[in-house]
Amino acid sequence: MEKLILRRVDRNNEEMILNFGPQHPSTHGVINFIVETDGEVIRKAVPDVGYLHRSIEKIGESTGWHGFMPYTDRIDYVAAMFPNEGYAIAVEKLCGIQVPKRAQYLRAISTELCRIASHLVSIGTMTMDIGAFTPMIHGIRERETINDLIEALCGARLTYNYHRIGGVAFDLPEGWRDQTLAFLDHFDKFLVEFDRLISFNEIYIRRLADVAVIPGPMAIDYGLSGPNLRGSGVDFDLRKAMPYGVYPEFEFDVPVGKGMFGQVGDCYDRYICRTREMGESSKIVRQALDLIQQAPEGDIMAPKVSRNLKVEAGETLSRVESARGEMAFYVVADGTNKAWRVRTRTGSFTAMGIIEAISPGLMVADLVALIASLDVVAPEIDR
Amino acid sequence: MTLNEYAGSMQKTVSSFWHGLSITMSHLFRRPSTVQYPDRSALPVRDMLPPRYRGFLEVDVSICTGCQACERACPIACMQITLEKDPANPKQRLVTQFDIDEAKCMYCGLCVEPCPTGSIQHTREFEASMRNIRNLVFRWSDPARPFPVYKVEKGAEYFPRAPLGSLVRAKLDAIRWDAPATRYLPPEPPAAAAPAAAPAATPAAPTTPETK
Amino acid sequence: MLENAQRPLLSPRGVLLATLIVAVALPGALFGGIMVLTAATKPVMVDAFLRQVVQVDPATWPYTTLVSWGAVFVLALILLTFGAVISGMTVWWEMRVSSRMQCRIGYNRAGAAGFLQWIADAVKLLFKEDLIPAEADRMIFRVAPYFVMVGFALTFVALPFGESLIAADLNVGIFYLVSVTALVVVGILLAGWSSNSKWALFGGMRSAAQVVSYEIPAGLSIMVPILMAGTLSMQGIIRAQGAWPWQWFVFTNPAAVGAFLIFFIAQLAEGNRTPFDLPEAESELVAGYLSEYSGFRFALYFLVEFGNLWVMAAITTTLFLGGWQIPFVSAADWATARGAADGLPGLGWWGLQALSMVVMIVKTLVVLNLIVWIRWTLPRIRIDQMMNLCWKYLVPFGFVTFVFTLLWQVLVARMPVISEVTGVVLFVAFLVMAFFFVRLTKANIVAAGDRVDMSNW
Repeated sequence: MEKLILRRVDRNNEEMILNFGPQHPSTHGVINFIVETDGEVIRKAVPDVGYLHRSIEKIGESTGWHGFMPYTDRIDYVAAMFPNEGYAIAVEKLCGIQVPKRAQYLRAISTELCRIASHLVSIGTMTMDIGAFTPMIHGIRERETINDLIEALCGARLTYNYHRIGGVAFDLPEGWRDQTLAFLDHFDKFLVEFDRLISFNEIYIRRLADVAVIPGPMAIDYGLSGPNLRGSGVDFDLRKAMPYGVYPEFEFDVPVGKGMFGQVGDCYDRYICRTREMGESSKIVRQALDLIQQAPEGDIMAPKVSRNLKVEAGETLSRVESARGEMAFYVVADGTNKAWRVRTRTGSFTAMGIIEAISPGLMVADLVALIASLDVVAPEIDR
Repeated sequence: MTLNEYAGSMQKTVSSFWHGLSITMSHLFRRPSTVQYPDRSALPVRDMLPPRYRGFLEVDVSICTGCQACERACPIACMQITLEKDPANPKQRLVTQFDIDEAKCMYCGLCVEPCPTGSIQHTREFEASMRNIRNLVFRWSDPARPFPVYKVEKGAEYFPRAPLGSLVRAKLDAIRWDAPATRYLPPEPPAAAAPAAAPAATPAAPTTPETK
Repeated sequence: MLENAQRPLLSPRGVLLATLIVAVALPGALFGGIMVLTAATKPVMVDAFLRQVVQVDPATWPYTTLVSWGAVFVLALILLTFGAVISGMTVWWEMRVSSRMQCRIGYNRAGAAGFLQWIADAVKLLFKEDLIPAEADRMIFRVAPYFVMVGFALTFVALPFGESLIAADLNVGIFYLVSVTALVVVGILLAGWSSNSKWALFGGMRSAAQVVSYEIPAGLSIMVPILMAGTLSMQGIIRAQGAWPWQWFVFTNPAAVGAFLIFFIAQLAEGNRTPFDLPEAESELVAGYLSEYSGFRFALYFLVEFGNLWVMAAITTTLFLGGWQIPFVSAADWATARGAADGLPGLGWWGLQALSMVVMIVKTLVVLNLIVWIRWTLPRIRIDQMMNLCWKYLVPFGFVTFVFTLLWQVLVARMPVISEVTGVVLFVAFLVMAFFFVRLTKANIVAAGDRVDMSNW
């Protein structure tokens, strides 16, 4: 594989080939970037993915319909609610299961909390890649509170396995609503403090503004999605564009990159999109916590979802707006109790494609910023 | 670069550092948000976890109906359950084997949901690092003394269960962290062991040195 | 498992006691040794000591040279040990402070408040295997840490600790310090080159570019206190300043504030501290020039990096913050306390020396904390921005401060009162700024819905 990629790199005597990974502090997992540099300036960076391949899609063909749910957690372990939801929606579409309203609210609450948690990791590691360590720990601190909340909700901190085909696993625990609201109040203050601590720091802005600019049309061409796409100024959010679940009921904005300190689509725009999105997610959770009180308690699973589910032959595609972009599940059933094919589309994998196009002319330190701003998570790339 | 930009960048640098430094400084006077795991927290960590926490699985054999729903629900086959007829009483069925490989378990909670009596439950126990991973295979049924399946009475809504966590705690206390790997005797019933669940059912591989 | 946990060697009270003994006795002994020996190794003192205590004539006694060389040797050992110990303690302190800034507890296992952690780390590093990469240039690879170590150790020759407490008050003291600290970059460059690792090479090259560039603004800003004092000698520069804040160089000349900032930034860059930690840039270059080092050699780099904090802070204190000057003690008081120039000084003089040492240590620690604080707040700048900052901002402003100080000194010569007025005005301005800063810090705590709570420090 490495030889294959090296062949794609034009070699002459001036350039140095740098193996940026697979074990490197800022590749966010095991990814390898084969970088051709001229001093500090990058001529080309070619991602070499596949180090974390666990054949999760193939596992989906051998476990039952319900049994695949815990595996979806492992597709994106930083934001495990989204693959949960995507897979659940896909199977529900195939079977024509109607999910109760309360379960839908619970899904919205859990995924939006998870989105906040995931973005906290994303922006935290981004600040750490730029060299500031303290903001990252502050982000992790807030994420821990979210983890505690989700732990109280579903019993796990990382691989939640909360969603089920036809609903969710648990209803709200006692007192959870107040805890969450208290956290969100604190979180809104935290966002202000975080912005003052690092977002508007002049060094930080200079490191990110005008770096690795991805113009909107290019972002669409390369199939970027989620905050990476919106950072390039393209207003496309699945929650608004093709709403699923109860999202039409919520009022929220979609933050779009505006070129705050540089050109539209630079690293800073992608960063600031994420910070602003956390505020919007916090709004959604508040609204969902209000609306959920109208739904009858305990009504969290669709009736008559067999334990040994058999799905009629057919195929479907579900798309959810994950923290890392669009997460799609393409599921083909052949009438048995196992899927015939489960295909996953993840945001990080498509984001890897653009690195080769955008990296020429960057500096080594900028490549770190680019990888961080694309918010790649290695297991999501390789699955 | 205009003079305005030149001066402006310095001004912005100073003001943004001013705010940043004041925030890091203010954190010196706040209480840290971490607790000192494991021995300096007010309570043991397992008691601070929420009740839904998915830790080690625990089976109360006194209310196990032997329905094997948990085994079927498990996506990774970390359980092995074998039922046999009681030679003394042909109507009574015995669970001769109920093994859960906690090292393999991914704590998804799918086995807990179908259990009709709530016999299998996640506990809040999670601290059990073992030198030999085979020591994390918990045998809920002693092969020498298999337990009879529980008969659910009609209309029963309550099943008397041992306090959650007490059984798994006893099992963990009984084994030292550096105990040699368990060798299971007598040999497993050959017919029952499905190939998929073999690791939990076959005797210990002789890779680890046996001290016995 | 809690039940199976080993019983600790000492009770909590015993741990506290042992930690206190180490934390007090070790620096106490070192500072005491430095105090006695820096003063006592001077020829005048040796002569007086031999004459009055040993009762021999130093001119004819055959062992005079031996005694004075022996004292110098012991002093050198103490200073080296001091460098190692202070860097270890700085590591501990930095980790504690940074963990508080990050809402963590930090070191807390080895000793009370984890104070003995640095000793444990050092012992661990000593026992680690000294790996040399297969394709490395073995000789250079082995030698490189010693360049760094020597560059660091040599600074202690001209680093003041108190009024008479300096190993050698060179008349070119600050010039000497600037030149020996530049030796560190040679070691780093050699390490980067010889490791035969691309990351190390990057780090070494970055370090060379950085340190060489930042020598220029540093040199220009050092010229400001030199011009104001009229001497290159470290003690001379301190003697030219007063004890009160409004008599320090940083406040008595408007340009010196700028020079102080430029010098401070340049020192950060030369010491490879955030935001200028590009040579080891953990997230970019793995560990930069340190990538391939392990064990004792790695420990040497580590020691120098943190020991440099003390050196940087002490030089800054000397040049701009009045050094060891004690309020209410004038040069005449020092002379009175000293008594006869060729005799042994009395206990009062030693007391004053100890006091001056305390003043110097306190000021140095304040500056050291400033560096630590900055490290845990700011992100890292990029290599081209680092060059921009140096050549487009620091160097021009360095020249401005330099020229301004020339004119200022002419003005002060005509009107001496102007320097005192400026001192008071700038010091008051500083106090006002500090007040606003404290208010902002308090507001931060309130705004986050938190409260002041130091209970778990």
